[in-house]
Amino acid sequence: MDAVEQAATKEAESSIDLLVIVLDTNPSQQFVRQSPQNLTQVLESIIAFGNAHLMQKAQNQLAVISCSHHSTDFLYPVPGRQVELRQIDGQYEAFSLVEKTVKQQLGNILMNAPRLSSPCESLLAGSMTMALCYISRLQRNVAAGAKMHSRILVVTGSNECASQYMTFMNVFFTAQKLGIVVDTCALDKTLSLLQQGCDITNGQFLKVTQLDGLLQYLLWVFLPAPQMRHKLVLPPPPKVDYRASCFCHRELIDIGYVCSVCLSVFCKYSPICTTCHTIFKTPGPLPIKPKKKKKVEKQM
Amino acid sequence: MADDENEDQKEYRWETGYEKTWEAIKEDDDGLLDSAIAEIIQKAKRKRQVQKAKQNRLGMMRHLFVVIDCSESMSVPDLKPTRLLCTLKLLEIFIEEFFDQNPISQLGIIALKAKRAEKITELTGTARVHLKALEGLANVTLTSEPSLQNGLDMALKTLKVVPSHASREIVVIMGSLTTCDPVDINLTIDELVKEGIRCSVISLSAEIHVCRYLTQKTLGTYGAVLDDAHFRDQLLSQVDPPPAAKTQHNSLIRMGFPHSKDEVEGKDAPLSMCMCHVDNLDEPSELCTTGHHCPQCKSKYCELPVECQSCGLTLVSAPHLARSYHHLFPVPNYEELSMESVPQLSECDGIRKCYGCQKVLSAPHDKMVFKCSHCKQFYCIDCDIFIHETLHACVGCNTIPGVAGLIYQQQQQGGKTIAAETHDMLPSTSKQQRQFSM
Amino acid sequence: MADTKFGRYASCSSVNMSLPVQGLTNLECKNLQDYLQSRTPETLEKLYTHPPICLAVYRELPEIARQFIIRILFVDQPVPKAVVSSWGAQRCAKDQTEAASCLTNLNVWRVTAIPGGLAAWELSPTFKKSLRQALLGGGKPWTMTNTVEKDSKPRDISFLDSYAMSRWRCVLHYMVGTGARSSGTTDAEAISPDAVRILLHANLMKRDDRDGITITRQGFQFLLLDTRAQVWHFMLQYLDTCEERGIPLPECLSMLFQLSFSTLGRDYSSEGMSCQMLTFLQHLREFGLVFQRKRKEGRFYPTRLAVNVTNKEEGQVVRTTLTEDVHLQNSGYIVVETNYRIYAYTDSPLQVAVLGLFTELLYRFPNLVVGVLTRDSVRQALRGGITAEQIVSYLEQYAHPNMKLMESAIRSKSCLPPTVVDQIKLWEMERNRFIYTEGVVYNQFLSQNDYLTLRDYALSINVLVWQNERTRTMVVQKNGHDDVKRYWKKYSKIAG
Repeated sequence: MDAVEQAATKEAESSIDLLVIVLDTNPSQQFVRQSPQNLTQVLESIIAFGNAHLMQKAQNQLAVISCSHHSTDFLYPVPGRQVELRQIDGQYEAFSLVEKTVKQQLGNILMNAPRLSSPCESLLAGSMTMALCYISRLQRNVAAGAKMHSRILVVTGSNECASQYMTFMNVFFTAQKLGIVVDTCALDKTLSLLQQGCDITNGQFLKVTQLDGLLQYLLWVFLPAPQMRHKLVLPPPPKVDYRASCFCHRELIDIGYVCSVCLSVFCKYSPICTTCHTIFKTPGPLPIKPKKKKKVEKQM
Repeated sequence: MADDENEDQKEYRWETGYEKTWEAIKEDDDGLLDSAIAEIIQKAKRKRQVQKAKQNRLGMMRHLFVVIDCSESMSVPDLKPTRLLCTLKLLEIFIEEFFDQNPISQLGIIALKAKRAEKITELTGTARVHLKALEGLANVTLTSEPSLQNGLDMALKTLKVVPSHASREIVVIMGSLTTCDPVDINLTIDELVKEGIRCSVISLSAEIHVCRYLTQKTLGTYGAVLDDAHFRDQLLSQVDPPPAAKTQHNSLIRMGFPHSKDEVEGKDAPLSMCMCHVDNLDEPSELCTTGHHCPQCKSKYCELPVECQSCGLTLVSAPHLARSYHHLFPVPNYEELSMESVPQLSECDGIRKCYGCQKVLSAPHDKMVFKCSHCKQFYCIDCDIFIHETLHACVGCNTIPGVAGLIYQQQQQGGKTIAAETHDMLPSTSKQQRQFSM
Repeated sequence: MADTKFGRYASCSSVNMSLPVQGLTNLECKNLQDYLQSRTPETLEKLYTHPPICLAVYRELPEIARQFIIRILFVDQPVPKAVVSSWGAQRCAKDQTEAASCLTNLNVWRVTAIPGGLAAWELSPTFKKSLRQALLGGGKPWTMTNTVEKDSKPRDISFLDSYAMSRWRCVLHYMVGTGARSSGTTDAEAISPDAVRILLHANLMKRDDRDGITITRQGFQFLLLDTRAQVWHFMLQYLDTCEERGIPLPECLSMLFQLSFSTLGRDYSSEGMSCQMLTFLQHLREFGLVFQRKRKEGRFYPTRLAVNVTNKEEGQVVRTTLTEDVHLQNSGYIVVETNYRIYAYTDSPLQVAVLGLFTELLYRFPNLVVGVLTRDSVRQALRGGITAEQIVSYLEQYAHPNMKLMESAIRSKSCLPPTVVDQIKLWEMERNRFIYTEGVVYNQFLSQNDYLTLRDYALSINVLVWQNERTRTMVVQKNGHDDVKRYWKKYSKIAG
């Protein structure tokens, strides 16, 4: 047992940990609307957190993606030539590079952003698909013999939008299949979809209401690599509600009707499926399948 | 319809594939072969995905019997180490994949041992049971001939009583070239046709007429394997749900979505036993507080999906349904273009990058790029494959607001949004369905 | 046990001239943690004023310790011990204790009392300040910073790699005597007296009255290490002697780590460095850790050797100026077959010499050497103090790229044929078949009963080594002899 543990530790020490932070930079988030300084504060925490991740192991890697109301962009790393940079203080060169690049990129994005008149949603699920593409590329390119563990941290203060349901689900299942952990730090409300995603991929979900201690929260809960989280006491997983909501009224239901062709969920019986236009034949409840006794097969 | 395509395909791979292969390889301007080889590799990668045609009606709730030949011929070592062991190994992968892709489906295994058929596992939705049964099959003694008819009869008997809205299928893995049947097998085949049960056969030795006939009649697929890799491809092609059979009755199925919300706040739920392990002697049920309760009769189950033993309600969770949606709304194929068509980024020294993975595109590896016709973004070949085979969501269509469900535009228009928003959980009209399938 | 036996083998093997039997101790490779733990707290405190050192120390810590540090890094008061121990899960209490003691040994944190009489952990203020600085910025820039003006002829990574390897090979060639001494001394191949002094100090080579300087047993073990480990070991030995040279240790170490945190392919400036540091830089230049065009030029490039120093494994991804990863050109050249044959695609006398340590060389072609691993050849190496582990890791490290392709097919951890790996290990184990125990023989019992009583007693107090019921003979451990004798006297008194 001990040997297994030791091998696991050794494996963890030599593996490459890739952290992709998906940062919601949508100006219609509650905390940004309260005060634009809040976004700067969140950004500082995210940079410090990203650098703390890089500090853990020499081979660790980081990527930061901004999800804004009009586009999704990489803040770090940027393809092509790196920013030429001269050390100005005692900060480690690589960390300064992260800080400079992220701030510069985000500045560009905010400058070029179209003005928005009314609040609109962040396309977080889309940004996560981009993160997955990026992770899958790095994982393909890992040298023979090396191992890479990847995770995605979503930091958002947006509300959830049900229109992204399918994309979110596809993201979670892909992450689960590739062994990518999805962590979420919600800055405003509890997000039930992302909560499901964390549950499906064994990630952590945390709701932080005070921005002041954000960095400490991040360092405590999200810094430990998923492989070592069992060694630390972390917030227990919340009970996740996996009920479906019906397509007709979007209400959570206990018992519903599911179309056998397209699996749409309805809260009451209707003769035609509104999604795939199938006409259903048998109205009323289905006959309950009789329990079969094991029968002796007639053989030759 | 799928059947017609098969009919046309008279030539075999080995009859055509290797003719003049050198013609495909051409030297580039520098007299190097690199680019030609890269192209061949690219084409091979995309092959599988291009073959996937869009289906609009699929049999999503599948009841599938895998019939495994356990006769003497399965001990032949042409597939390493033996046909049987190779089959079992691949079936393990198949079962995992099957339940991953078809979470509300059920599977059962039948073994053809010495002219008899033996049901190894009943139709059930848990992979664990099947994997355990497969382990047991590895030590089976392989003697005598199989009986295809007995196997089909046994599967037929069970599938007959399955509700008609489900897709009913049989996949036979045949090692033997002969079958030893009690009566005329055509009777069984007619019965299968009548019931609309789709039969597919994978032959490990050579093509057998009766098997080919069976698959043609029942609209299944037929394949004789070349080697283990080909066998794997053949088997995994059964993972994707087939088009809905004509005889399949479409209906609305009542389902329960268990949840654990009805507990009193701050108080632990009472200890209880789960129904799934009550009769199970190997792993007796444990008293615990967690579990899923049937919303109709409150009996408890430790894992989903399951059919409630007391009231017969199918219990699932929302993600189980969501797992299948990608079959219904696949990402449409991208357009293949040459790299030069990608616009150069002015702010980054005029490099071209893939919109998905941010890779800097460079010849010769990225000679061909792929463009989504909806969001007009360009992707590298690896992302193209990843998006279509694994992710099932186009990156551009989901990150660019104008394209993504037209939400951003709706905001601009103002007034007409409410009507659209009520439906945005899932597509409800054919127009929206197109959006979602992007 | 191996060592006691070793003496016997050593005497008989003196006939065999090629055996590198000189010292009896094995090569001891310290990692950074061990090295630092053997320093005094005052030295450590002095070292921690340098952010690069703190960063390197932090990365060397066990995983849990790293989490503890990061959690209290931004807390200004001491944290009660009980609070810290509540952070870890119960079943990993052992890991936690280890982590805590490691932190104490390295003087990273210490116990203080807080009001209320509770014991608490407090981070060393120097360490805290430096680590915060490295992470968040502030303070003075490191001594080695980027150059301002662009190099007119910048050196690319592949050039730096080949430069570094050729320099480092000079040192290795010197050790096996295939370099300067055999084939006419050229400037490029000679190594400086300083380097020789370090090799002597490290006991990798020794001065012999008869043949001048020759390689030692540890020297051969050194050759079997991977390049990164070699450089690290060599630099540690260098640091041992640097105080004598008048170069202060903290600055040296700080410089070394700064190099390891630098970006491969970028040029740095030596402007503002002290005179001693410039000397140090020249030494690094000689070993291939940095590239400098001219001695006086204020611009230098760190090479992969320097950047890799703090990595735990060879061939890890390093930070480069390019965004796409550049891996070191694969240097594998050895093919091992299941029939114990070894094909080495090399013409380097050094590599052939190292292979010759544990293989029987059969044929030699211009670019290929064929050898076979035999029981004799491996035992000869084992007798020389090389361990089976070292042989296997050497073969793994230099395995031909095609061997590594096989790895994914059979999904085994090593790319070598498992039979060969097992056999090498078995050959090592068979040398450890004897266990020597000092003992006392009891025989000539008068009755079977006497014998059985005494044997059962010896067995019950766990001192019985061997017994034979037929000849009524038993052997008892020496330290158990007194007990057994006393019992026998008591027993025979009662019986008699």
